[in-house]
Amino acid sequence: MSTKTLTWLLIVGGFALQAISYFFFGAPIGKPTGVQFSQPRVPFVGAFFILGVGMVFTAALVYEIRGGREDRGD
Amino acid sequence: MAQYIEQLPYEIGRPARTWRSRAGVLGAFVAVGLVAYILELTEGMGTTGLRNIGPMGGATWGLYITFVIYFVGTSFAGISVAALVRLFNIKALEPITRTAELLTVVTLMLAAMAIAADLGNPVRGILNLLIYARPQSPFFGTFTLVISGYLFASSVYLYLEMRRDAAICAGTPSKYQKLYRWLAAGYSDTPAERRRHRKAGLWLAVAIAPLLVTAHSTLGFVFGLQVGRPGWHSALQAPAFVILAGVSGVGLLAVMAWLFRNSLHERRLGDDVFGWLRNILGALLLIYLYFWVVDLVTALYQGDRAELTVTRAVLVGPYAWIYWASAACLIIPMLIIIVQKAKRSTAVAPLVVAGAMVQFAAIGKRFLIVVPSQTYGTLLPYGAGSYIPSWSEFAIAVGLIALGALMIGAYARVFPIIPLEDPRGSED
Amino acid sequence: MTRYAMAIDLDRCMGCRACMEACKVENGTPKGSFWMYVFRLEEGTYPSSKLSFLPRPCMHCDNAPCVKVCPVGARYKREDGLVATDWARCIGCRYCEVACPYGVNNFNWSDPAEADYLDWNEAELPGDGESVIPPWRNPDLDEDSRPENRPIAGGGHSAGVIEKCTFCVQRLEKGLQPACVTNCPVDAFAFGDLDDPDSEVSRKLADKPSFRLLEEAGTEPRVYYVGDKHPEAEVHQVEAVEAKV
Repeated sequence: MSTKTLTWLLIVGGFALQAISYFFFGAPIGKPTGVQFSQPRVPFVGAFFILGVGMVFTAALVYEIRGGREDRGD
Repeated sequence: MAQYIEQLPYEIGRPARTWRSRAGVLGAFVAVGLVAYILELTEGMGTTGLRNIGPMGGATWGLYITFVIYFVGTSFAGISVAALVRLFNIKALEPITRTAELLTVVTLMLAAMAIAADLGNPVRGILNLLIYARPQSPFFGTFTLVISGYLFASSVYLYLEMRRDAAICAGTPSKYQKLYRWLAAGYSDTPAERRRHRKAGLWLAVAIAPLLVTAHSTLGFVFGLQVGRPGWHSALQAPAFVILAGVSGVGLLAVMAWLFRNSLHERRLGDDVFGWLRNILGALLLIYLYFWVVDLVTALYQGDRAELTVTRAVLVGPYAWIYWASAACLIIPMLIIIVQKAKRSTAVAPLVVAGAMVQFAAIGKRFLIVVPSQTYGTLLPYGAGSYIPSWSEFAIAVGLIALGALMIGAYARVFPIIPLEDPRGSED
Repeated sequence: MTRYAMAIDLDRCMGCRACMEACKVENGTPKGSFWMYVFRLEEGTYPSSKLSFLPRPCMHCDNAPCVKVCPVGARYKREDGLVATDWARCIGCRYCEVACPYGVNNFNWSDPAEADYLDWNEAELPGDGESVIPPWRNPDLDEDSRPENRPIAGGGHSAGVIEKCTFCVQRLEKGLQPACVTNCPVDAFAFGDLDDPDSEVSRKLADKPSFRLLEEAGTEPRVYYVGDKHPEAEVHQVEAVEAKV
């Protein structure tokens, strides 16, 4: 996989993971009328969201370091 | 390697007696803070001056939360200055960018530690936030965006900006050579590599900017969305947070630039750098003072009874000394800068004094946001409460600041804190 | 589904605070922590002052700000209307405490075993040995509560967590009423299912006009007051009470 592809995958995937975690994994947002508003729909929602943020910024590392190696041909 | 330096710059790797004694003093403060924290862990948070709101007549959020907001606020300026340089190509500020980025990373770590100090169950806190974090709670943003996301993003930015200098320093035999080589991660100063770095840096700055605003705004939302605390429920909270963050951060940068200029004798930290910092600090101060006046007028013109109780406590009551001292620590720096601009003075010392004063204003103002709305802000007729931080709270706060200074100082002893000059002039 | 609510008759309340005592014994709350609290209010100054009393349990709001702000979902709203705190999940951030407009939350600042009224580990209890009441902790407090099977009952479990009134969930499970309701010497409390028109609380609310505290905050509390009006802004407590420990 070229560095460019991997970079874009990380950025898009990272934002997607953030959005999905926030709106679908986490507890629903709204007037709390029952237990479901205080329970995540998928556990480790916090970890997933942070992973998403991490992915977006890891893209920069990949782009520079892996990309630099690609440019040099090693 | 494009550049070869005979010995490492800024006394890196060479023994420095003054650093050792300074580090010793800072380390002592850190140790006292650590003892205080261990006491808090073993005996419970009753070692603080915090107590329950209501029949107990206390404040449940106090000095720790004040410093959490202060540290996160100060982190704002670091990455903003760095982003400004990248996005608007302000070459004059380049020498201070690494200090700014390091300040961001360090203060965010301090904020995380201050939060941990404030949690009744810190280890469970980290685990449960990872598993159960609720998006509806403003703390979701604080945990995921501010402490995790923003910290990681700033660390990446800082690191990528370090690679070139690491590669240069790796060219010289020294005790840190292996470290530099590892940090450089194969960086070679070719035009292609420079282009790649410029692109990555630009996009990072663009990506961090909205993250920054979101992160600081969620911190404002922690307070601004609460109807239960008079004095907090306001649309101004989030923007005021951001602006005061900029004020304290840029002010601290001015102080740090002056300290590094004196200890490293770096002529590139000259009038240019301080001129820009002066302008930015002046502009932010002006905006913040506007917010302050708007807030005051709104509160005094027609506040509801509960809000007036808080306002009275803050303006003329037990918190008045903090309020007016903080106001002075913002107005005097504003006047200093205005006078300097009017006289076209480039003197650095007044700016540094201004930069130091706004720190006290920032801490004072954060305290005034957090505490009076609890001790004087109960909607039911409990009566006034009181809160005086205990010695252990002060010890932990001071210990954290000392830790920050220690981390920055230690960094500057191992890695050039001022980006090394490019013999070719500017980058392509 | 049951819809628990409480109605407090202010015409009857005489400020004896037996409910505060009963709550403390039933729920094992540590020193300085009062889940049920009774305001003793005075309007005006002596000799032309007027006294009033206002019991204040947790409101178990339908739009509870404490539930909304809890970062880990330790504070949650049950189907039957109770707002409960899972003390095993609570991380002690105290956001619910600052968010509550009513001030009902209590954080355990120290180990509850050390903040108790008697040293339960003491072999010899103080006093003449004849009239001292032996220490007692309600065994129901250590059970997980149905239907979610989460530890929400009782107080004084551990340091560093938040606790508050639970409408005595451990008693509700047994078909009893909350301790404050049962122990009031003048029957000022009515408690039950709002959806049941024959329940005490429904009948009490049908008889007299009622109000709720701080309705303008939008919290939709489940505790109603009859027999008087919302405390005026000019009231103050008769004595400054700072149960600081």
